[in-house]
Amino acid sequence: MDTKTLIQEAKARFSHNAAKAALYEKYSSKLIVAEQNGLWKATITLISFLATISDEEVVIIDEFNNLVKVNRQKLHKTLLEIYTNVMNEWYDEFKELENKR
Amino acid sequence: MKKGVILFAYNTEDYDYVKMAEYAVKRIHYFLDLPVTLVTGNRQYQNNLFDKVIYEEANTNNKKDRKVWFNKDRYKAFDLSPYDNTLILDVDYVVNSQKLNKLFQIMDDICVHNTTEFLMQPNLPYEYLSAYSYKTAWATVIGFKKTNKAKQVFDCMKMIQENYNHYSNVYNFVAGTFRNDYAISIALHIVNGHLLPKSDIIPWNLIHVGKNTSVYKTNDNVLCEEFVVIFDNWKKNKIKKEYIQFKNLDFHVINKDNFVELLP
Repeated sequence: MDTKTLIQEAKARFSHNAAKAALYEKYSSKLIVAEQNGLWKATITLISFLATISDEEVVIIDEFNNLVKVNRQKLHKTLLEIYTNVMNEWYDEFKELENKR
Repeated sequence: MKKGVILFAYNTEDYDYVKMAEYAVKRIHYFLDLPVTLVTGNRQYQNNLFDKVIYEEANTNNKKDRKVWFNKDRYKAFDLSPYDNTLILDVDYVVNSQKLNKLFQIMDDICVHNTTEFLMQPNLPYEYLSAYSYKTAWATVIGFKKTNKAKQVFDCMKMIQENYNHYSNVYNFVAGTFRNDYAISIALHIVNGHLLPKSDIIPWNLIHVGKNTSVYKTNDNVLCEEFVVIFDNWKKNKIKKEYIQFKNLDFHVINKDNFVELLP
């Protein structure tokens, strides 16, 4: 039996909340990146911090709680790029969800 | 540095784990592009799908639901693995994305999941060894490098397996069935001086398809990327079925009978 028929016969209702949660699991891990001997998550906070300071090198605590001295501009560029790509992909799939019933 | 995956598959009366491994290897090749070594109790078994097949006698000294369960001796993976950087995967873990390749970049010595998410059951609490003990780490996915620390963890798992009753008393869990999850949880804590550094934890959740939940493939291709999960949601003594559809998300199927339905 194909899944469409299965869903119809089971009278199953599409769960938007569960689908959103699954999308979160899928995409939030994509924001994690290893760079310059540290593990980073491309978050708004970290990207903004890297954008606002002017020092060439800066010490930050990474996802493993290690202190890492990084090249600020290089890390900023990498994280911003990852953040933008992942969020755009996530958004496209998120929009598809809204049309599902 | 040679990277690869190692799978353990010992057939039982009820389940053909080698067949599950054959399903897993195709997906690992496709999504992760990694060689796979199979450890099995069938001396005659050969299959070109695998980079290497290692015969290892099954340890029959474990039971689950009154039946023999061949899950012991996972600690041998350290010595058996032909790779410098290895992933140990349960055969019922469905690789459905390239995400695991990231582990090779981020792991120091060894890493496992200790946070989980059950699809369609968002409020389930994490599992603990016991009410006053550690959060359970999961042996479903283990990444390790051939370093001294990783060796210590696997040696420690061996010690725990051999003295399981003692550790069940110390950590206050039921010793009836040996679980690799418990062995690696305790081993990691012992080796790390009863702390668990973040670097030993995989920085995303292990996704389970759990109780009252069934997963279905959307086509018969062994490399099917899209799956449907149907959940029996009990409300006011009635079941209301709910579903989601997803693609490119790895998951672990807890219900073996359900997993078998995914096989071609």
